[in-house]
Amino acid sequence: MAIASSAAGSFATPARGQSVNARILRLAWRSPEMKVATALFAALCLLTLFGPFIIDASATKISVADKFLPPVFMEGGRLPHFLGTDQLGRDLLLRSLIGLRNAFLIGIISVVLMFVLGCAIGIFSGYRGGWTDVVLMRITDIQMSIPVIILAITILGMSRPNPVTIIAVLVLSGWPIYARVARSVTLAERQKEYVRAARIIGASDLRIMLRHIAPSILPPIAFVAVLDVARMMIFEAIFGFIGIGIQPPTPTFGTIISGGTQYLLNAWWITIVPGCLLALALGSLNLMGGVLERSRNLILQGAA
Amino acid sequence: MTINRREFMKATTLSVAALSVPAIASRAFAASGPLIFAAAGTVTSSWDPTSHTVAPQITAEGFLFGHLTKCPMTEANPGEILPDLATEWSVIDEHTLEYKLRQGVTFHDGQPFTAADVKATYEYASNPDRPASAWYPGRVDVEIIDDHTVRLNTKQYGYPALNFWYVSSFLPILSAADIANPDMLKQRPNGTGPFRYVETTGDQIRFAAFDKFHEGKPSIEEVIWAYVPDANTRVLGLLNGQYHLTERLEPEQYLSLQKEASLKTDRSLSSENKYLHFRCNKPPFDDPRIRLAVCHSIDRSQVLEIVGEAGQASNCHLSPVKFGFTDVKTYPEYDPEKAQALLAEAGFPNGQGLPEIEYITSVGFYPKTREYGELITAMLQEQGFPVKLTTLEPAAWEEQLYRRADGQGPGHIIDVGWITGSPEPDLVLRPNYHSQFALVNGISDPQIDESLEKERSATSTEERLKILQEETLPLIAQKAPSISLFSSVFLRAMSAKLEGVQFYPNGPIDLSKATLS
Amino acid sequence: MRASASPALVFLSPDKIKMAFALEFFLRRISQGVLIVLAVAFVIFTLLRIAPGDPTRIILGPMATPSAMEETAQRLGLRDPIPVQFLRYLGDIAKGDFGNSFIRGKQGGTTGGSQDAGSAAPVERAAVIELIARALPYTLLLAACGFLLACLVSIPLGILAGVRNRGWPQKTALYLSSFFVSLPNVWVGIVLIYLLSARTGWLPAIGYQHIGYVIIPAIVVAVELAPVMIRSISVAVAGNVQEPFYEIGQVRGLSARAMLFRHVLRNAAVPLLNSFGAQMIGMLLGGLFVVEYIFSFPGIGLLTINAVFQRDFPVIQTVAIFASTVLVFINIAVDFASTTIDRRLKF
Repeated sequence: MAIASSAAGSFATPARGQSVNARILRLAWRSPEMKVATALFAALCLLTLFGPFIIDASATKISVADKFLPPVFMEGGRLPHFLGTDQLGRDLLLRSLIGLRNAFLIGIISVVLMFVLGCAIGIFSGYRGGWTDVVLMRITDIQMSIPVIILAITILGMSRPNPVTIIAVLVLSGWPIYARVARSVTLAERQKEYVRAARIIGASDLRIMLRHIAPSILPPIAFVAVLDVARMMIFEAIFGFIGIGIQPPTPTFGTIISGGTQYLLNAWWITIVPGCLLALALGSLNLMGGVLERSRNLILQGAA
Repeated sequence: MTINRREFMKATTLSVAALSVPAIASRAFAASGPLIFAAAGTVTSSWDPTSHTVAPQITAEGFLFGHLTKCPMTEANPGEILPDLATEWSVIDEHTLEYKLRQGVTFHDGQPFTAADVKATYEYASNPDRPASAWYPGRVDVEIIDDHTVRLNTKQYGYPALNFWYVSSFLPILSAADIANPDMLKQRPNGTGPFRYVETTGDQIRFAAFDKFHEGKPSIEEVIWAYVPDANTRVLGLLNGQYHLTERLEPEQYLSLQKEASLKTDRSLSSENKYLHFRCNKPPFDDPRIRLAVCHSIDRSQVLEIVGEAGQASNCHLSPVKFGFTDVKTYPEYDPEKAQALLAEAGFPNGQGLPEIEYITSVGFYPKTREYGELITAMLQEQGFPVKLTTLEPAAWEEQLYRRADGQGPGHIIDVGWITGSPEPDLVLRPNYHSQFALVNGISDPQIDESLEKERSATSTEERLKILQEETLPLIAQKAPSISLFSSVFLRAMSAKLEGVQFYPNGPIDLSKATLS
Repeated sequence: MRASASPALVFLSPDKIKMAFALEFFLRRISQGVLIVLAVAFVIFTLLRIAPGDPTRIILGPMATPSAMEETAQRLGLRDPIPVQFLRYLGDIAKGDFGNSFIRGKQGGTTGGSQDAGSAAPVERAAVIELIARALPYTLLLAACGFLLACLVSIPLGILAGVRNRGWPQKTALYLSSFFVSLPNVWVGIVLIYLLSARTGWLPAIGYQHIGYVIIPAIVVAVELAPVMIRSISVAVAGNVQEPFYEIGQVRGLSARAMLFRHVLRNAAVPLLNSFGAQMIGMLLGGLFVVEYIFSFPGIGLLTINAVFQRDFPVIQTVAIFASTVLVFINIAVDFASTTIDRRLKF
């Protein structure tokens, strides 16, 4: 996790933000769940990055003669199709890995964007106050009142969805939370002495917002971002399942799972295997996020 | 069942115990109650049979309406004609057919069936204004000889009356009173068939046995048409006992259901062919060479491997159960070299320069469309065609299927199944390949038009067969306004307790003699 | 939420102050809420109309002539600029007319495929309100069952996890939440259908014939809700358990259980309500829609998703308006309840 470095020549308080973050991280790392989760996540990332080069099969090559091969540990399975093949003879493990990679990309990019967008709006709104604040907060309320699914199916269901529009929809649905938290942190920090002092020195508003206030936002919200990556990945799978996600033949979890539902009775692995892989990936993310949250609570409550 | 129940019972003891009773009860209830048919499609909002050309509604109309004749359409004897509302029929001269009608038939509303109804029906349905008039050879005048004899006369319209020979088994007979009152016609169907319409609630349509049916009241009291668009859902419902009859199974479902003791399966060649239609009135498919290049890029044997039990190979734009079918020798085969040569000749070597091609297909209605859609997309991309696949839900696909009033339609390649209700080949060829109609592909080729006119003006069935097999069908194969991928084999499943069901190759199901114990 | 102070109130009696406060609160929040709903409606309205695809073609069917299409478009006012259309739409709503579906006929069929221009008369289309009224009870039933099921699991676990900050309840809560929240509800749904219905035939899965059909969908909804509930409850309870009053109360003779029920839970209720409000309902809504789609459960979710695929604008618009209205009002109610329970807060 990147932690904004403190600026030389300002008062001590930003340094406090840094050490809070560091303390949270250190506490989190002490628990065994965190180690397991991080290891699992790292392993999956490596697999996603290097898997396609190691496994000698193709995710998109259709080979009708090879269809419905079960996983290797079941009767009838054979290498190189470690986890079996789907209804068109494509290797399931590779498709799942590529699906995972696409899901990660969409999840991470959309969370980064909504984090930046939301925090920017929140800090700006809290710092400026006045009419800017009121208008921006009302817009936040409006955005929060539109349920994600309705927005998604309206925008994506009407035109051919592609990664850009999908990410746009996800970012639109997620930024309000970050904006709200950023704003309340800004309101609190704005009154503090170091901010006033920086103003007296002559630091510009932008510098103050970026250098001094922004780092304090991380403690309350960082773990939410981790959890949101998982949440966005689930949305991506749901969109793909309904048919408003990335279109075939690009493998995505949603399309793999929905394509496999009619083969539940004779080739259940097509649906189950990708789901398990996704669950593993998300589980590790969520576990990490959960531990981070717990550590944060303990530190901020002064119990550790 | 060898699955360990303990875990599930622990977690959901109360709810499962209390609420699985209704589940069992529903099975018991279902056995003595109505027959529930899980249908893959549903009707439009107008019950007027001349207002649409959608296959599911034709299946529904099969329960409700009678026809002058019926054609079982078997592969062994595609041309067989049996009496239905007509008892005898004969050719009077080149432009006149005479039908003697059955006596003692009544409509669902109680009115007697007479020659006036046949006149009203045929003249109304063949009117070119009617959207479904594309099914019929042209306008016809009907002369009433007496209450139970009619003559179809096509002299005024310049084509042989013989063209109605098979179509008489396809045209549903409506009541003259309804035709005079179009709103009534749209609102509820009124026919002479074994079942009558009761009501529609949401996605379900209720039919009740018609006690005055001329072949005797059906033993099944009530039929419920449940619209279940998803193939998977249909099968699950059949396994649960919710449904008693389903259609359009996927091949794997067919194979695994064969092992179920409580169910039986049925498999029969249909009059449906699956086509890829090209939009021929806009680039790039306004150039026949590019169309042919696509045809040569598709390895149909692989498509058939995916489709499995649900398809049968055929090198013809007609299904083997249709009059005129032949194995066309010059049918485009998988030949990548030829495809590349054609592309180069058309000015797009290796597909470079081609605009993006949209391949539109439906999912959930026809078996395996998504799978072979992805396969064909890959095969085309291998030859350099920039194809993108769009899968649509059946209702959305239906909306995009036909050409619009401006002559254009969305996409460039459309996956369509065309199914027809009688052996008459023009039911396939005219609506799709004659420039006057060309409902999907918009082809306008004078040579094809000429050949179609020639075959339908033939004065004897032998002559017509010859023209079709030696000229018309090879010509269509050569010009390739569409390619026929395979002939559909219908896979169905039903409760083992359902007996006496008869299936027509175009969809309708004859339940008049069926019993559900 | 900002605190608001009203100097005039100091001159009134306590009861009148409470009432005046309530009045001011509601007036202010409801007017804001109406604005929000209007904005949401406008956004959805505009999105639908700038998306590709012409509504008149959908209404009239594919074989409509250009003149018929133009005429229908004029008649329905679809050629006017969007703000004008929107104002007219609002006017209709004020009269209670939410329009008719573009697709679904009164007698239940869909018009996709009907090429007869004559069947286009809007009077034959089902009224959106009717469609929604028919579907709503099912959605409410599913929501209620899912919520109850989730509570059954979450409340005990959440309280236990909150009271003891370490040890197995806390770990279980953490693991369970993390696990459940990592499963896409679509996948859970398919797996459950496979295990509980297809393979074994214990429970029915698709559509709705009787109450048994709600079980599996409700389980899926519950799996989605449980993690959030467990986390919220445990955090809220933990927060209070650590306050001094908890231990002091026990010293003064109240049993741990009494402390729990009388004080901790009451205090925990405020932040709980808060998170229930926005988060929960929003999640519930989204999850319900998708679950209904998977199970063909005839509720609002299935209606809406089908409407999107079939380009049935009036249905989509109305559902969007209703959904956001519900969200807004839940927020208002939650905020008001919070101020009543905890007088320290002012909204």
